[in-house]
Amino acid sequence: MTAAIEIRHVSKHFGTQAAVDDLNLMVPEGAIYGFIGPNGSGKSTTLRMIMNIIQPDVGEIDVLGKPAASSARDEIGYLPEERGLYKKMQVRRLLRYYGRLKGRSLGELEPAITRWLDRLQLGAWADKRVDQLSKGMAQKVQFIASIVARPRLLILDEPFSGLDPVNADALRTAVLDLRREGTTIVFSTHDMGTAEKMCDRIFMIFQGRKVLDGSLADIQAQYGHDTIRVRLSGGASALQGVSGLESVTDHGNFQDVRTTGSPGALLQQLIARTEVRHFEIMQPSLADIFVRIARPEPDGREGAA
Amino acid sequence: MRRVLIVAQNEVLGLVRSKFFIIGILVMPVCVGVLMTFLGYASSRVDHADRRFAVLDRTGVLYPAVQEAAAQYNREKGEGAERSGPHFLPEPVADTAGQDDAALLAGLSDRVRRGDLFAFVEIPAGALDPGSTAAVKYYTQNTSYVRLSTWLASTLDGQVQQERLKRAGMDPRLVRQLTRRTELASFGLTERRADGSTTEARRVDELQRFGIPIFFLVLMFMSVMSNAQHLINTIIEEKMSKISEVLLGSISSFQLLAGKLVGVVVVSLLLAAVYLIGGAYTLFALGRPDLIDPVLLGWFVVFLLCAALLYGSLFQALSSACSDLKDAQSLLQPAMMMLIMAYLSSMLVLRAPDSALAVGLSFVPVLTPFAMLLRLSMPPGPPLWQALLSVAILMTTTVAVVWAAARIFRVGLLMQGKAPNLPELLRWIRK
Repeated sequence: MTAAIEIRHVSKHFGTQAAVDDLNLMVPEGAIYGFIGPNGSGKSTTLRMIMNIIQPDVGEIDVLGKPAASSARDEIGYLPEERGLYKKMQVRRLLRYYGRLKGRSLGELEPAITRWLDRLQLGAWADKRVDQLSKGMAQKVQFIASIVARPRLLILDEPFSGLDPVNADALRTAVLDLRREGTTIVFSTHDMGTAEKMCDRIFMIFQGRKVLDGSLADIQAQYGHDTIRVRLSGGASALQGVSGLESVTDHGNFQDVRTTGSPGALLQQLIARTEVRHFEIMQPSLADIFVRIARPEPDGREGAA
Repeated sequence: MRRVLIVAQNEVLGLVRSKFFIIGILVMPVCVGVLMTFLGYASSRVDHADRRFAVLDRTGVLYPAVQEAAAQYNREKGEGAERSGPHFLPEPVADTAGQDDAALLAGLSDRVRRGDLFAFVEIPAGALDPGSTAAVKYYTQNTSYVRLSTWLASTLDGQVQQERLKRAGMDPRLVRQLTRRTELASFGLTERRADGSTTEARRVDELQRFGIPIFFLVLMFMSVMSNAQHLINTIIEEKMSKISEVLLGSISSFQLLAGKLVGVVVVSLLLAAVYLIGGAYTLFALGRPDLIDPVLLGWFVVFLLCAALLYGSLFQALSSACSDLKDAQSLLQPAMMMLIMAYLSSMLVLRAPDSALAVGLSFVPVLTPFAMLLRLSMPPGPPLWQALLSVAILMTTTVAVVWAAARIFRVGLLMQGKAPNLPELLRWIRK
């Protein structure tokens, strides 16, 4: 498996604070890799180091087989978390400028610009200034700016945040199409549903350290089938006094419970107490796993389960 | 290099479309022209009111001369639609013998308040005495209007001198002829031709002595300043809108800085070219094309390039360290002061271009583009070695400043929050 990104023992400190701590990661070529983690956990710092916008204090990063500092930058598309567009510039001129900085000629860029603007319903806005666009439109322009030079590696920092469902879906489809054409895609997100649906592999960083890395199935297997969905005639109150319960999440019509004992022992206890209408051993969702890792400990500290 | 040029092209297009450039290159000269034309028109059309004034002539002899001088002045100003200024209308104050001085002055003051008179003037009795130091007194409500008082001062001074000369038995016309100022005409040096004959010395006039140097000085200042505001605005916009992060994903911070510097240089040259063409046209119109000196133009271009790079990199570095325009204003103040100091210190050079102070100033890198250019534009100019040495020092400094600016720029572009102080900036350079 060829690596699109290889990060080896990378650390980055801001003052005395470790933003990234001894990180190792390999992103295979052609994959969609999801970066998840709570705010301030080190996702954007990692993406910026991959882009060589900031340099690690220690460790090495290879991108597309070259050191990050080299001309591999031309092969990388980047959409930063906070959008960077010249407000007074016309959309088409801006896309030309960003594309040319990636080493592409106007001849290569013009058809791509027109095609992408039309595809994302921005064709009529090509000659408008950026400050005349809505926030969602500007975000789509920023997305086009990151892909217009046909990158081999696309790095998207929170690409879908702030978009309405229709535009978010249009961008998701575009990302999947790019993957089909062979582009490696790394994106950070807080939307666990999107990460579950789109990503081949998921990487979670927490307090600067890697806490998850693998396919969704691997991660779910790692966190076990310890969540049980029940529907009881007495509702959540029927669970009172049941021994071995680690947590109960009440959804109204059903409850998700985690037990320290076996599912069979739990079922026996429930049957003895009430009518059990539904009993299902669940795989933990990515959101569950995320919360389990990042949930603050009772003493206020954030935990890493 | 290609990417540097792409950034430069973007900067040039952004700058020439910016209001600063349009104001600098088009609107400013037009505004100055319109203002000058208006002032010229207004000075001959606005001040048309008659200025009636009373003359309390205690010498008893000067009033007729004042009356005659006023009549002459009024004739020169013309009548009706052709009139180009006010008319001065003197009236004598009747015989004052036996009157109380205070009451007389109070009465005249009342007439001024009522608007019968614009002013009155009191000529002391001893004004014609050779040893008298008594002043002629001018009374008015409107002290800011000086046209009448200036005219009266000059007219009375002339008349008093003439009367004193007459009383001393001298012919005022003869004295005027004898004391006429001797003109001093300035020339360059004659030169020997190969055949032994000599060239005629060229007369050096005010236009050459001061006009050309001041033109170059102002043009240098304008060319550097016209870029400053645009640079500051774009860098802060790029930083605050995270555009710099997108740009740094494609090019290095040094390429970005270099591209912007090339843009600054191109715009400076463009601005200078427009004004130089205008200047050359003016010299042709004045019949003085001989004042167009290609060597001096060459020096101007060299110093302009260095100044644009030096100040451009300084402005970029400091802007990149700021998070908003307010921060930028305070952090950039020293750099702006340096530029203004360079401009002002050039006035000292203008006064004595070969003085030790002028020579010293022209070797201070931040002042060199102004001071040395001035010295070069003032005949006979400095020795060639001084000009070359100043360029060498300036270029070395420019390279060092660009290098330091690139290091500040690299850190500053991604830095958020409070603007750094000087020790922090130095730490960024050493990083």
